[in-house]
Amino acid sequence: MKRLLHEPLVHFLLIGVVLFGAYGLTRDGSSASAPSHEIRLSVDEIAQLVVLFRSQWRREPTADELQRMVETKVQAEILYREALAMGLDKDDEIVKRRMAQKMQFLSEDVTAAREPASTELEAWFEQHRDLFAQPPRLSFRHLYFSPDRRGDRARADATQALAKLAGQPEDSAIAGTLADPFMFQDYYRDRAPDFLGKEFGPPFALAVVKLAPGSWQGPVESGFGWHLVFVDTVVPGRVPPFAEIEPDVKLAWLGEQKKVAWDTAYRDLRARYTVLLPAPPDDVTPAAGIPAADAPVAAGANAADGGAR
Amino acid sequence: MMHGDGAMRFLQRTVTLFAVGLSLAATAALAEPNPERDAYFGETHIHTSWSVDAWVMGNRITGPDDALKYAQGATIKHPLGFDIKIDTPLDFMGVTDHSEYVGVTREANTPGSAVSKLPEAQPLIMQDPNSPADQNKVFSYLLSLTSKPPIKAFMSPQVAGTVWKDNVRIADEENKPGKFTAFCSYEYTSQYNNRNLHRNVFFRDCAKVPEMPYSSLDSWHPEDLWKWMDTQRKAGNELLAISHNANVSDGWMYPTDVDSFGRPIDAAWAASRDRNERLVEIKQGKGQSETHPLLSPTDEFAGYELYEALLGLPADVGRIDRITGSYGRQALKDGIAMQDVRGYNPYRFGMAGGSDSHNTGSPYRQDNFFGLHGDADGSVDRRFAGVLIGGTMDVRLENPGGLTGVWAEENTRASLWDAMYRKETFGVSGPHIKVRFFGGWSYGKDLVDAGDWVKQAYAGGVPMGADLPPMPAGGKGMAPTFALWAVKDPTSANLDRIQVIKGWTQNGQSFEKIFDVAWAGDRKPEKWSGRVPAVQSTVDLETATYTNSVGATELKAVWADPEFDPSLHAFYYVRVLEIPTPRWTLIQSVKSGLPPPDTVPLTGQERAWSSPIWYTPSAEARRAAPAGTTVADLQKKGAKALTGAQLKALVVGKAFWLRNDVTGEQFSQSFTEAGQMNVFRVGRNDVMPSAFGNVERSGYQGTTTAYGIEGGKLVVPVAQEPYSFTFYKLGDTYYAARSNEFGFANYEIIPAPRFAVNPLDEMMNRFSTELALTEPQRQQILPILKQEIAQLQALKKDTSLGAVAKVEKLRAIGVSFDEKLKPLVSPDQLQKFEALREQLRRRMIDEMAAKAGQKVESGVSAAVADVHNAF
Repeated sequence: MKRLLHEPLVHFLLIGVVLFGAYGLTRDGSSASAPSHEIRLSVDEIAQLVVLFRSQWRREPTADELQRMVETKVQAEILYREALAMGLDKDDEIVKRRMAQKMQFLSEDVTAAREPASTELEAWFEQHRDLFAQPPRLSFRHLYFSPDRRGDRARADATQALAKLAGQPEDSAIAGTLADPFMFQDYYRDRAPDFLGKEFGPPFALAVVKLAPGSWQGPVESGFGWHLVFVDTVVPGRVPPFAEIEPDVKLAWLGEQKKVAWDTAYRDLRARYTVLLPAPPDDVTPAAGIPAADAPVAAGANAADGGAR
Repeated sequence: MMHGDGAMRFLQRTVTLFAVGLSLAATAALAEPNPERDAYFGETHIHTSWSVDAWVMGNRITGPDDALKYAQGATIKHPLGFDIKIDTPLDFMGVTDHSEYVGVTREANTPGSAVSKLPEAQPLIMQDPNSPADQNKVFSYLLSLTSKPPIKAFMSPQVAGTVWKDNVRIADEENKPGKFTAFCSYEYTSQYNNRNLHRNVFFRDCAKVPEMPYSSLDSWHPEDLWKWMDTQRKAGNELLAISHNANVSDGWMYPTDVDSFGRPIDAAWAASRDRNERLVEIKQGKGQSETHPLLSPTDEFAGYELYEALLGLPADVGRIDRITGSYGRQALKDGIAMQDVRGYNPYRFGMAGGSDSHNTGSPYRQDNFFGLHGDADGSVDRRFAGVLIGGTMDVRLENPGGLTGVWAEENTRASLWDAMYRKETFGVSGPHIKVRFFGGWSYGKDLVDAGDWVKQAYAGGVPMGADLPPMPAGGKGMAPTFALWAVKDPTSANLDRIQVIKGWTQNGQSFEKIFDVAWAGDRKPEKWSGRVPAVQSTVDLETATYTNSVGATELKAVWADPEFDPSLHAFYYVRVLEIPTPRWTLIQSVKSGLPPPDTVPLTGQERAWSSPIWYTPSAEARRAAPAGTTVADLQKKGAKALTGAQLKALVVGKAFWLRNDVTGEQFSQSFTEAGQMNVFRVGRNDVMPSAFGNVERSGYQGTTTAYGIEGGKLVVPVAQEPYSFTFYKLGDTYYAARSNEFGFANYEIIPAPRFAVNPLDEMMNRFSTELALTEPQRQQILPILKQEIAQLQALKKDTSLGAVAKVEKLRAIGVSFDEKLKPLVSPDQLQKFEALREQLRRRMIDEMAAKAGQKVESGVSAAVADVHNAF
């Protein structure tokens, strides 16, 4: 219990309920008064029930089913009003949390509704270029020296073949005669390192990225054996111009705006409140107290950080 | 060739950084779809803090968005607070939080909340959320909840309503066509009476998902889930289900007689299941559901990652998870038997794999295993202690999760989902092993060496998950050919072998056989079994390391079924094995200095399983199969079932020989006065029908089984399954029908055979017994038989003749034998002889013809030699 009192979330919820009260007042003009005894369902509201049913069961409800749905809705409304009258909404955690969540969504939605100007986006993009960096892309041909066929000689054979290929072009006629058939492709066009990592294993991807284009090089080891590689084109990693990726920038901008808007809105709200916490008892160690509660749990000996072979 | 050290891990992380960096720039142009399809690997089963049980087990921070980011290579927090990161980023993921009681535990543990005041919620409240004992108690209660009628109070739309919508929104945000696919999916968690009947449901298009997923609170009967799925599909919302953990279903995942309502299974039930349950999770963190050593006693790789338990069973309740009905291979066999006898097959599923981790992120490698259930198994000491989560889940038996491999044109929801629906999928135990499998009638033996072999394979046959095209007209003597190909994961161990697992059915019995088709190194199949010996293990138990100095990077072959019988239903699927590597328990033992748990193996062979390819005989071919004898046939002829007293007199304190009329195998059985029985004289190479257990071993070891006579049946259980024989008497002959053979009476009590010292005697004995030959007849027939055997042996050695010519010659020899025999026997004897003869001849011709069409030696030569010797 004491723990919970210290939890930031609980504090946050306490604020939420105050806001909820204000919201309720503005909507009804009254709160916790005697419930009205008239329940009026519009055609739209009933139609909504039918739509809901249809989406779930993919058919029209029967008259009985519709009757039951209306009764359920009526029941919910009656109980809701009676509950309000009895003040059951006070100090109810579920209600608090949902209302608080609604607040958050509202503040976020307000931001989302704003259409940023292109210039604003571009300025923001300039400040966040790193987010849009694209990795380099390579095109290369490779020759494969298979340990299945050559056993331990695979690497030495590749080195010998490289000597024969010195000064040879990428499409050298002798290239094909030196090596083994490869299980995937002999030529890869315009591939990023992450793809090569999946296809050949990460060490190969990292090695090939560093090769100078324009000649046969190697041997480079992959998860399958040894390779000689002729990189013909390297498109260096770059940040694309704004015009090319404006929709992406907008998406990222929106994400950030939501977060910023919420942080600001909450900071403003928070500033209006004074939160009083009980003083920590003397016997509480830092680990159980407030400061440490937010600190990350140390991984320590518990982490299964892999059994390196 | 040693790898996997710290440096390597660092490099891997560096590379995946590129991937994460890219994720914001999602507009990269979609690559052209590849008509020959690429393998995409993904997770189809993972839980986040949104699942009630995950929350209890300490996963309180990370949600579906974190899961999807983890899949793409981002680092996230384990519930215990340390960083976790995937080895190789995935191509797709479907987060499958439980649809039941979403968010309820969280609410129950919020003091003052409405849920916390409900009497039903009291057991959910943890006095100390960080106490393992408390967590365990609550988890057990949650599991028990899913076995009980739903608690309406927990189903408040306030709690559950928005969660599903958020789930869909998050999937949409992380879905990047061409780069990474995020599915809309959830887990239907039916857990009736501690029986795991769970299914993961995958939607094709997130724009069409329903308001709320159908959960086991709506109904725990999978049949009702299918009904709901049908409704969704009719309205244009395509979806499929992947069942999981058949191994802990207590035999309820794959019934053959009644459904979960207790109603007889029928064609409509089978069609509904087939329409909706397209895939099964063949392996996950809680074990594999392919097969069990008791179901597949001749499969030396069946004892892999077994996980037998009833989840959530209170620790003081005496119930044991049943084996029968809990494994996929047996379901595939039962399925074709049902197809043959009843005309429908509910079990035509493909293969998938998942982790079922409750940590938002999952390990898929033995060297990266950080548990699956929050703090319950998040530390080495807890994992090694053999903690029982929820009373029965022994954490030592857990293992890194599996993955689903999908052959699709491109990495989009539609393309991947369509491949899953057509079952062009495979399951892997963790590493990204790629496996191709095609079936057709005319693949050349060099097909897989061609540069464009995949294109040719698609053009000339069907991929995994499909039905073989009908046998070409005039195809008598043909056998189906299969193209197989597997490539190792470049960051994992080399490959040991590719196997074809074949199942077939005849007269209500089903059978399985495993063929080694391609393997690494120069190992020779063992002469008498045809099996390829085990690959050398390079595992160093001191350091928990291995080397890739054995094994292959790529294996491929074209294989024809050497034992193909065109009249019988069959299926084929592929299993690929890696060389042995250390299990996580050994790796963490070396690192921590703790002794490894001795309840689990120290090493294992990672593997991949393809979806099956099915063969269905044409009506004409089917008619050529021996009809067999059904109970109805016997009754029509006037046979009477033995009463309990008659059965007792026949069996108790007696021993007799029984012949399986489908295979011709004969075996002796003894039944003691005290109620113990034993099957004797079953050999390693005998073909036993399904579900006899390991009779070869128990016969050799002399171990016994308790039997009983109940309700006029002889009950001989296998494990907990009370298989029974009903005996019938017709004339002087006793026939028996086994309870799992779909109405056939396949067994016959026979006189003790005279032991043959040479093939001639054996054949003569068979004739004498079956035709009831008199002694003078024996004397007359013997020289004719001798002559025929000489002719057959000459034929066998004659290499100048082609296959067709050989078959013709064989027929000629047979006809000449018939002519000589006719004058010597009575019409009744002749009729019996012809039936026997036709059966044997048909088999031999089919086998010789099939053999001519393929090159694999394996066990065939021995089998064919047997048939030759029989004549």
